Amino acid sequence: MSQTVTPFLEMSQAIMEAGGEALKKCYQCGTCSGTCPWTPITHFNIRKLVRYGQLGLDGIEEFMWGCSTCKFCVDRCPRGVELIDIVTAIRNVYSGGGMLPQSLRAFVGSMSARGNPWSGDQAKRNDWAKDQYPLYAPGTEYLFWTCCTVCYDPRNTKLAKATAEILKLSGVSWGIPSVEVNCCGESLKKVGDLELFDRLKSANRDYFKANQVSKIITVSPHCLAAFKKDYGEDYEVLHFSELIARLVQEGKLSPKKDLGGVKVTYHDPCYLGRHSGVYDAPRDVLRSIPGVEFVEMERSREQSMCCGGGGGGLWMEKLKGERLSDLRIEEAMATGATVLATACPYCITMFEDSARTLNVDEQIKIKDVTELFLESLGINIDEPVVDTCAL
Amino acid sequence: MSFEPKILGIACNWCTYTGADLAGTTRLQYPQNLRVVRVMCSSRINPSFIFKAFQLGADGVLVGGCHPGDCHYNTGNLYARRRLAVTKKILEFSGMEPGRFRVEWISASEGNKFAEVVREFTEEIRNLGPQTKFKIS
Amino acid sequence: MSRIGVFVCHCGLNIAKTVRVSELAQFAATLPDVVVAKDYKFMCSTPGQEMIANDIKEHRLDRVIVTACSPLMHEQTFRKVLSASGLNQYLLTIVNIREQVSWVTHDIDEGTAKSKALLNGAVNRARLLAPLTSRVIDVNPDVMVVGGGIAGIQAALELANTGRKVYLVEKNSTIGGHMAQFDKTFPTLDCSACILTPKMDSVMQNKNITLMTSCEVSEVKGYVGNFDITVKQKARYVDHDKCNACLACTEKCPGKGVSEWDEGLVKRKAIYIPFPQAVPQKPIIDRDACTYFIKGKCRLCEKVCEQKAIDFEQQDTFSTMKVGAVIVATGYDLMDTKPLVQYGYGKYPGVYNALEVERLFNSAGPTGGKVTMRDGKEPQAIAILHCIGSRDKNNYEHCSRVCCMYSLKFAHLFKEKTSADVYQFYIDMRAAGKGYEEFYNRIIEEDVKFIRGKGARVAESADEPGRLIVEAEDTITGKFIKLPVDMVVLSPAMKPRADSKDLARLFNLSTDKYGFFMERHPKLAPLSTMSEGIFIAGVCQSPKDIPDTVAQANGAAAEALTIVVKDKMELEATTAMVNPASCCGCQNCVRVCPYGAPFFKEDKGVSEINEALCKGCGLCASVCPSSAIIARHFTNEQVLAEMEGLMEF
Repeated sequence: MSQTVTPFLEMSQAIMEAGGEALKKCYQCGTCSGTCPWTPITHFNIRKLVRYGQLGLDGIEEFMWGCSTCKFCVDRCPRGVELIDIVTAIRNVYSGGGMLPQSLRAFVGSMSARGNPWSGDQAKRNDWAKDQYPLYAPGTEYLFWTCCTVCYDPRNTKLAKATAEILKLSGVSWGIPSVEVNCCGESLKKVGDLELFDRLKSANRDYFKANQVSKIITVSPHCLAAFKKDYGEDYEVLHFSELIARLVQEGKLSPKKDLGGVKVTYHDPCYLGRHSGVYDAPRDVLRSIPGVEFVEMERSREQSMCCGGGGGGLWMEKLKGERLSDLRIEEAMATGATVLATACPYCITMFEDSARTLNVDEQIKIKDVTELFLESLGINIDEPVVDTCAL
Repeated sequence: MSFEPKILGIACNWCTYTGADLAGTTRLQYPQNLRVVRVMCSSRINPSFIFKAFQLGADGVLVGGCHPGDCHYNTGNLYARRRLAVTKKILEFSGMEPGRFRVEWISASEGNKFAEVVREFTEEIRNLGPQTKFKIS
Repeated sequence: MSRIGVFVCHCGLNIAKTVRVSELAQFAATLPDVVVAKDYKFMCSTPGQEMIANDIKEHRLDRVIVTACSPLMHEQTFRKVLSASGLNQYLLTIVNIREQVSWVTHDIDEGTAKSKALLNGAVNRARLLAPLTSRVIDVNPDVMVVGGGIAGIQAALELANTGRKVYLVEKNSTIGGHMAQFDKTFPTLDCSACILTPKMDSVMQNKNITLMTSCEVSEVKGYVGNFDITVKQKARYVDHDKCNACLACTEKCPGKGVSEWDEGLVKRKAIYIPFPQAVPQKPIIDRDACTYFIKGKCRLCEKVCEQKAIDFEQQDTFSTMKVGAVIVATGYDLMDTKPLVQYGYGKYPGVYNALEVERLFNSAGPTGGKVTMRDGKEPQAIAILHCIGSRDKNNYEHCSRVCCMYSLKFAHLFKEKTSADVYQFYIDMRAAGKGYEEFYNRIIEEDVKFIRGKGARVAESADEPGRLIVEAEDTITGKFIKLPVDMVVLSPAMKPRADSKDLARLFNLSTDKYGFFMERHPKLAPLSTMSEGIFIAGVCQSPKDIPDTVAQANGAAAEALTIVVKDKMELEATTAMVNPASCCGCQNCVRVCPYGAPFFKEDKGVSEINEALCKGCGLCASVCPSSAIIARHFTNEQVLAEMEGLMEF
């Protein structure tokens, strides 16, 4: 790469037009790169990415995939620069030019062909439910939006079931969507394919409209953030942890089974915490469970670490030593906890992988808050209970 | 014990004395062998002051004034310059080492220079050893 | 036998850290004639002063030695303590063990030893001190302001509004200074002329202000309260008393001069007013451009002038004003950037300096406010280069303080008036003023490109004739940037006016190495100078922006007022006197005195000294062959006794 460069403002303009307007606000102080969890462990430098964008310099494509859109930098930026918009715009401009990395091609391809990121057969989207749970129909109060990851990923279908079981006991009116829906598209947007994102979004919006959906419960914070921020409609969207917390508070659900003094720590998913501002609900749920000793990690709530799964990171390979989820597992174990609870299927996937590769999956279990809550209700989903209502 | 010279300084109020104050304000460090007498202008310095200093046992004498042309009293230091040049000649004529008497123009903004000159001059006098030529014991 | 009191100050830890203050006080007590010696935490505090006052009474002290900071700091403070205690203030001696001892060493033994020597000298000197009486002089109530830029205008108006008579001396033919050249002012972007010209008119209309344009100070005599200042009125070749400002002459004039006002970007007439709102609105003739002066004929202006105001025979005239105080506010020049050949100023027509660009933006400027370059084209890409000659050991070490902000302002105006891409090449962005950071943020959001790295070179483009290439490192990426642009704007160092050193000599001011006037104290007396009664304001002291300049002007006006508001004032009593008994009548003193204070009394055959003129330098005393002249407070005996004391330890 030549050391002599000439600014290419047309490129910078293109980035701004693709939504990276905030480029020009940045004065390169380095707060972002000093905050970014990737800076200490990889070559990715968010400040440099912005700088290259500002001047339209070549070479930007080499490190534009490093960001996991954890929003830590955005929250701290003294100039209010929407760095995620910039990352998205840069990826959009360059991936439009065919610079998508190999690992993301399957992801985007699947999104385009099947409407989900897991190359799953669209017709089998609801197979996990084994027809045990109601389908949403007009007149139902809540749409229980099952994230693609909980529908197709074998580990996460447990989470889908756990959620559905709790819903069954909750007394609210709910249903799962039909198989025609698509992925919410949140990660696709962050990967920069804005056009395909718009397509998926508009199909989903059509479904919502046709079925008069106005209240949505999501299991994934990514869907939550997408519906709240990117869908341009005033849906009432709740993360499932918020719903449980509310039901517990109202006395409609009460965990009874003592989990026997298990030490649990909680990882704030970026998209639930920093992106959506939900910090207390999952903690309230954990604290309501008898026999759970809840401990915080040093970095928690607004200061939480990223698992690395956002912004397309879930579908990208990272080298050992460059995985945030590994570091986070170590941090969790340092608290003495034997359960790392979280509230996001992406985080679960990332942490399960790390726990396995670090060979600590016996010492620390990765669980969704929902799963723990279900356990404390005395329900074991590995042996599904008979739905008494259906009898 | 190494030889610690006694150095007498005579500084004009407006430039060199103020410059010396500035050296202090900016916390510059220099040897403590110098003792400064303040006069209003370097032109106040009568050659007899210099001779007297050596008689009193000064190992070196340093005179500081405004830069020629910048005298607070317009032309005072121009007279001083000539008179001190003659004084230096007389000292040399009397067998005094030339290095023992020095005249420096140091402005109020040259705290740095003041400290530098004192360091240098002290070192020079230290090397010359005790002054015995004029000293009346 | 004297009764001496010695008071050693700790100055908190400033002194006490490197001088054993109590040991010093104990040492003092052993010296002959010292009847009381004490140390105290802060001698300049009220309790400290009261302690001295009490001891003067209790121990019937007749000499006081304060061993503390520099006499330049607190001599006046302690003199007042003596006066209030009924002791003549000149019986005070200050020993400077802070600036010249404790702050310049880390070694407490050395510090203590040196302090003892200094104190010993002071005791020797103190014994020989004599009470002196201050002279009381009449004070002239008027003030002169030198320089008619915004600082001078502001100071003159403030003073005039208190009823003082003010002479406002300006060397150009109009007041207004650089500020009148600006189009907009940062960070508010209000129009410079809109806020300045009303003030200029107020000057014209104010009965208390004598406006003296085309004038220069040529001689300064006298002293605080009683300055006699001679001003040269340069020939204008137009009798301004007769001229009715019809300006018919300026229309007819065939002569062509270079417009200083438009920074040489255009021509003006030989008989001209610099710009439409000039004050006064009366023309002058530029001798070097006038056809009559060059060729001996023309006189068209004379023909059209109904008032018969044109006077080709006019000469420079001199007049002397009496004033009590002076404010010097002579402003700045931009550094000449031609010698910095790497930037191509003067070589490439596309390279401009900041003041030229100010004129390009101005609707009364050479392009009518359009940003068109010397080739008539509108630039498509513009690079603004900060710190040209500033923050540069090879040129001017200081930060010129306003360039970051006006460069941002330029960027805004370029964006507003052209469709050009605008780049800033900067070292650091310095936006430390009210609303400045906010302005910086605003400009950033206007999509101005910021390259952190000083412009290193401007060269001609090899590929595109007429275009320029700016080279620099973007230190943020570490990349070497080659940027093709049409226009380069240099933000050069601000330096004092070319003649500031001459003016410094006239008014007896000190300057720094570049010619900026030195203030008496950088923090506590920023507007005073070492010359009593002469004050400074604005950029002639150091680069600053308009708000700071105006604040200084107001401050200098208040300072000047503190002098001229009184009818009489006390002067230093440390003058010289002749002992007629030993005067040999050689008149050496008469010849050397810079102030003409000594004069020869023919009838008695001896010299005498006019104490009103004497400033106490002591020059006469040291040239007196018969030691007949006594430099009060610095007598031979006093100086020699001090030396003796210093050398004893």
